[in-house]
Parts: sequence; structure tokens; C-alpha cells
Amino acid sequence: MAVMEKELPIGLTDRISRLPKRRLALLFLLPVLAVLLVYLASLGFLFQYSFRTFVPGSLQIGGFTWANYWKILDPLYLGYLMDTFRLSAYTTIFTLILGYPVAYALARSQSRPFSSIVLILTVVPFFTGVIVRTYSWMLMLGSSGFLNALLLRLGLISEPIEMMFTETAVIIGLVQYSLPVMILLLAAAISHIDVAYEKSAQSLGANPLQTFLRVTLPLSLPGIISGSIVIFAWTLSAFPTPQMLGGGKVKMIAISIYEQAIETANYPFGAALALFMLVLTLLVMGGLQWALNRPGRGNGHG
Amino acid sequence: MRKVTGILLVILLVNVLIVGLAGCAPGAQPAPTATKAAAPAPTKAAAPAPKVESIVVSTWGGNWKDTLDREVSKRFTAETGIKVEYEVGGTVDRLAKARAAKGKPQVDITLTTTHMGRLYISDDLFEKLDLSKIPNSKDLFKEAVRSDYHLGVWSYVYTIVYRPDLIKENITSWADLWKPEFKGKIGLPDFDPSHIIVMSALLSGGNEFQWEKGQEKLKALKPNIAGFYATDAQSQDLLKTGNAPIEVMLSINAFHLKEQGVPVKIVDPKEKAVVGIDTVAIMKGIDPARREAAYKYINTMLDKDVQEKLAASFKCGVMNMKANLPPELKGQPGVLATPDDWKTKAYLIDDGQRAKMMSAWKEWFNREIVAK
Repeated sequence: MAVMEKELPIGLTDRISRLPKRRLALLFLLPVLAVLLVYLASLGFLFQYSFRTFVPGSLQIGGFTWANYWKILDPLYLGYLMDTFRLSAYTTIFTLILGYPVAYALARSQSRPFSSIVLILTVVPFFTGVIVRTYSWMLMLGSSGFLNALLLRLGLISEPIEMMFTETAVIIGLVQYSLPVMILLLAAAISHIDVAYEKSAQSLGANPLQTFLRVTLPLSLPGIISGSIVIFAWTLSAFPTPQMLGGGKVKMIAISIYEQAIETANYPFGAALALFMLVLTLLVMGGLQWALNRPGRGNGHG
Repeated sequence: MRKVTGILLVILLVNVLIVGLAGCAPGAQPAPTATKAAAPAPTKAAAPAPKVESIVVSTWGGNWKDTLDREVSKRFTAETGIKVEYEVGGTVDRLAKARAAKGKPQVDITLTTTHMGRLYISDDLFEKLDLSKIPNSKDLFKEAVRSDYHLGVWSYVYTIVYRPDLIKENITSWADLWKPEFKGKIGLPDFDPSHIIVMSALLSGGNEFQWEKGQEKLKALKPNIAGFYATDAQSQDLLKTGNAPIEVMLSINAFHLKEQGVPVKIVDPKEKAVVGIDTVAIMKGIDPARREAAYKYINTMLDKDVQEKLAASFKCGVMNMKANLPPELKGQPGVLATPDDWKTKAYLIDDGQRAKMMSAWKEWFNREIVAK
């Protein structure tokens, strides 16, 4: 048998599988390192650019300065930062509230057709681009849009309600855009919870609500945390939805960066804003994870 | 959990970078151009210039490119045998690509707005034009010669456009925008607020150099503003949906809406409309044979017949004084065709001042007008 193995030609797969574990890990790490290097180079480029002086009316840049970072402390840009974090937090909370029941139904349903329908309804929006989905909301929420037309026809309002170009419209758009992701992450987490835990609680006298609040919900906390972090991070860099539904009145930080870099060619300040936002986001997310993962919280599963 | 967060952090990092500055920064590698042919190697001084098979024109996409192809490039190819290929994209995207390719341009000819052309010039990206190689340049309006480097090819205006089915009052001047009955009805461009800033200054006794004079006037317009748009498509949507039944809008877009059956009225304001000019230039650094072809292309573009066809397609003004507009376009708002039109209907913001002030104007506009 051993002789026969020796006689067989050794394929690439076999060669790789025979490599020592460390070398194997290095082999797989190489592409990651290459990509990482490209991003680090970009970051380095942005970093040096963020310290250069903007020359109005020219694409040339001036000498080194701290002015771009000082400018971020201007109430206008601090306001954009605050708005971005606030809108991201609202979006995360509403997505969680709306997504949890659907995810629970998806994970716990005994009916295969039902769960299939829920899954299809969850996933289908993925196949529609963000622009199309946002544009649909414009048609829904506009002053002569579907909702206003319906309310006027029913006699519930006498003149159209201003829904477009408001933070509410932006949050609605962002929640709808993020909901499928939250549902899938939560459903994955809930489906990993052993049903035996819930049955045990019920056999000990817990009613369905108590079972949910004291068993299912705590055990699904890892899914809630990862889902919330994903949606929060996702929303921080939202661009087309606030741009279209906010009508320029709701400025999130990505829009502001775009304005600096694309519309006014102020690359140095755009670079400073982007890097500042990056660092701030990493700090907030790191802090969020630390707070939610403290001993005794969310470490029971996953 | 930590792995998930790690992946998320990388995704976030990428997102922020992409949204922020991808492709804008000088020195970045130019994105590959779908229609771009490989540029021929530079010729030696003594060797005969190789035959140019094609040239590359950088322009806007969609209808802009299609019309250019139909009305200019076909004729150019028929006359010279040289094919025309395109790089299409937004005004600033293409500027970023041009910067990245400085010294080895990926395109031969660039069409851009007049004040953005100033940025190209400031970065030494345009070739200084030899007008003797563009015979049609002698027939141009003086306003067409924007600099030694770029020439106007057509004009349009930013003016007031409104839906008469939703707005019963007749709008005839910029001053009408401030009427209280138009509360929450006006849409403005926020990607370039220079038009309304300068017009407010003019109404207040200033101009683009004394724009501060119009600041209080413009602040008083705030209650009447319904929203802001960032793209041409958005501007048309705002009117179509009635979310902003009055708009400060590009005349070409308004004509497009009319063709689609949207009831819009384009105002010829008594204080003049703000002119926009798109320009053409030759990229610095292309080899002599391609440069000669580029000159021929520009000359074709400024030909009387071609100008007439471009005007008929875009519903825009011509730059060749000899061009005759089709009867249905004559006298239309924004369609400038005679020296008198330029004198009585058009306000031309100084290109240099506009390019210089754009960032400051935008910041002031965001702070005082857009902010809650």
C-alpha cells in the first residue's frame, strides 16, 4: 500500500496539505497581507494629504498644517458627526426592534413553507439596488406620493404632510435597507440556541414570555451585539439614502466627505475628515464591543 | 465574535476610504477606461508621424456622449478616417483621472465646465491652444474663448423652472423666489450654490466679487426652500414628483422634462439668467500626431453646421456666431444665439473667482442655508 502511494503522482492539493501548519497559515495569509498593504499605503497617502494646505481655485496643495484637523472642531462639522452617530444609533435600534420578531419566526417556525416565504421576503430586497429602493421611498413619502395621496383620499389630512427631506425619511430608508442583514444575523444566532433550554424553562413553570425574556433573549445576545455593530457600522458610511431622502438637508459625514473631495476639490480637508471619522468609528465600536462583552454579559453563547 | 468584529472593522475602513476619497487623490492609479485604446508610443523626432487610428474624448455619459458621437464624431471620422473613443464620467471624477495620468494622458480631448477647466489649467493638464489650427474659432462669440487653453462649445443657463399646474402665480424674476406664498416650494442645487449666491448678491447690489452683500438676502430665502439636489437626475425628480415645484435648474434639463411631457415653464428672468459654458481642451503631453487630430476634432465641433445640430439636440446656445438655430429654439430661455442674447439675457460669473470661491461658498451655504 505504501509502495503504491509513493508511485502515485503528488498533486498540488496533496503538496499543500502536507505543509507544516505554520507554513500553511502563512500561505493563506499572504493574499490578506497583500490587500492589507495596499490599504495601509492608501491610508498613509491620506494621512500625509490630511496635513497639507488647501489652495482655493487650484489643484496644487500647500505646506504642512494642522488646520484641517482644527477645522473638524467647527460646529458645522461636529454637527455632521453628531448627526451621523445619532442617525446610525436610531437606525440600529429600529432595525433591531423590527428585525428580532421576524428573525425569531424565521428560526423557530415549524412550518417550512412559512419560513421559506419569510426568508424569500427578507432576501429579495438584496436583489434590488439601494438607489431603486430609496427612489421607491421617494415615491411613497413625497408630497404627492402614495402615502399622502392615500391620507388625503381618506380625508385624514387636509394638506400633504412633509415627510420627504426629513430625518424621519432618512431613518425609514436606512432601516429598510439594513433590515435584511439584521434579520439574517439574528436568525442565525437564534437558530443556534438549543430548544432544550426553552423547554427546560417551560417545564420548570416559566410561561412563554418569561421563557423568552430569561432564556431566549439573553442567549441571543451575541447575535444582537454582532447585528447591532454591523448595522451601526454600515449606517455610519451611508451615502445615497441620506442624500436622496434627506434632500441635502440631512448631511451625514459620508456626504460631507464627498462634498469636500468631489464637489470643491478640497482634498486635504476631505482626507482629514475621512481619517478622523475612521478613528472615531473604531474607538466607538471598540468601546461598544467592550461594554457589551464585559464579564457576565453576552458571553453565554457563541 | 471578535473575528466578526475584526472583519467589520476592515469593511468599515474600506467603506470610509472609498466614500471619502477613492479615485480623487492625485497620484492614484487611473481607473481603466472601457473604451480607451492603447496609446501609441511617442514618435522619434526624425521618424514620420504614425497614422492616428483613433483619438479619445473625455466627456459626460448618457445623452452627452451619445449626442457628441452622433453630431460631431461621425462627421470627424468621415472626414479624417480617425475613429473616436470615449472616456465618460462625472466632471470631477474625470479631473481626478486626468491628474493621476498627468504627463501621460489617457485621453486626447477633454470636455468640462468652464470653471473646472481652470483647475485643469492650474495643474498644467491642458495644452495651450494654437487658434490658427482651429479655423472655426474666428467665428466664435468672444464669450467662447474662456482662456488660452479652453474654448466654449455650447452654453446653457441656470434659471428658474416651475410647474404651472402646481404654482398659479406667474414667475418672471429672481426676486419672485422670495415671495411668502412660495414657502417650502423651492429646490436648489447644493453641489454648486454659486448661481443663487451670485444672484442674491446682484439683487443686493453686489456681484461674485462682493458676494457678501447678498448673504442676508439669501438667508431670507431659507423658509421657501423645500430641499436641495445633488445631481441632474435628482433635480428632475424633484419637479416631477412636485416635491419642489419651483427650482433653480439647468435649462437643458428643463427642456428634457418638457420633452417627457412634464408641464414645466422655463423663466427668462428679467435680471438675466446665470450662464454655464461647457468647454473643450487638448490634454498636455499627447504626441504631435494625436494633437493634430485633436485640433481637427475641435474645429469640427465648432463648425457652423455641427453647432446647429448640437443646439437642436441639447436645446442649448451655440458658440459659433454664424450658426442658425431651428425656429422652435429661437428666443427660448437659455438658448443664447446672438451677441444681443449674451448682452441682455446672460450673466456670466467670472471663471477664476468661481473656481477660487467654490469651497468657501459651499461651506457658507452649508452653514447658513442648508443647516437646520
